[in-house]
Amino acid sequence: MTLDFAIRLTEIMLGLAYIQQSLEHLAARAGEPILFVPRIVLCALLVLGVAPGWICLVLLINGALLLRRVGGPYNGGADRMGLLILICLTFAHLTPAWREVAFGYLGAQVVLSYFISGWVKVGARDWRCGCALADVFAFSAYPVSENLRRLADRPALLTTASWAVMGFELAFPLSLLTGPSLLAALALGAAFHLANAFMFGLNRFFWIWLTAYPSLVWLQARMMSPIS
Amino acid sequence: MLAVIKLLLPALTPSWRFFDSIGPSPRIEYVPPNAIDWRAFRPRPAIVAWRQMWRRLFWNPDCNESLFLTSCAERLLESPNSQSIREIEARLADAPWRQWRIVLTTRDETRLVREIAYLSPARLRA
Repeated sequence: MTLDFAIRLTEIMLGLAYIQQSLEHLAARAGEPILFVPRIVLCALLVLGVAPGWICLVLLINGALLLRRVGGPYNGGADRMGLLILICLTFAHLTPAWREVAFGYLGAQVVLSYFISGWVKVGARDWRCGCALADVFAFSAYPVSENLRRLADRPALLTTASWAVMGFELAFPLSLLTGPSLLAALALGAAFHLANAFMFGLNRFFWIWLTAYPSLVWLQARMMSPIS
Repeated sequence: MLAVIKLLLPALTPSWRFFDSIGPSPRIEYVPPNAIDWRAFRPRPAIVAWRQMWRRLFWNPDCNESLFLTSCAERLLESPNSQSIREIEARLADAPWRQWRIVLTTRDETRLVREIAYLSPARLRA
């Protein structure tokens, strides 16, 4: 995957993901049309490829205003990843000499998002015994329905699931060794985010992490290519 | 400008410590006018069908707003602020209320315990 193609693909995916989020905001109680209607227009322009550098910069300002308006991220990590993608795209366009560094930084952050998440879990006794996942199902705000809470009473399943998640997250950096292993890891990652979207309602994480994947595909090929 | 940079900085160098520990979970409850019993605000449905789960992958405003309300409740308990109260009360307009509260649910050894962490002033008129 070339750098140009990876950046273009990321712009299109980010534009579509942000349009989806913005429509959800407009449908919600405090819709904030003054922030989200312009955002939808900007995203449509980004998808069409109109002046992407400047559009990314204006979207970044729009994102900062939104952060101020709601006192922080609306949707936690998903919003942070969206802003990170936007910052990297803005730098990649507006500082052409640094575009590889800017886009590579995004790819490196995707790797860290899995590895650090696995590292902090494996260091916690509650995660190693499956108790943390039991607590997520038993009383956290995340399960989308009450019947999912019954999973809290399946300790063997939860311990296995906890180690599967930690193992995947910790081993993720190794997938960069070859192209096929990275694609397999990204497929697993997408399945992981899909499961989180189904069980915990985290649909925005699914779309925004997928949006960051092209940076990783490009970064892996770049790292393995001979130095020119 | 400095405030904007301060807000954007965590996005540039995220911590990525997802679910490192499962802390007490806040729920918003309210009392309707002329009632005495507390009710859960936007309780979760008993079941969500597979078809609905697929649909929610593309359209999930209510669930995302509920997660935002959880963040507001956490921010309010962390450091009392009028913005979180405003955001919560803007959404509570869905359900006429006389008073609302935040209840924390946590695990104490083997049982779940609930504790009232915040109680709003009572309104004379809903």
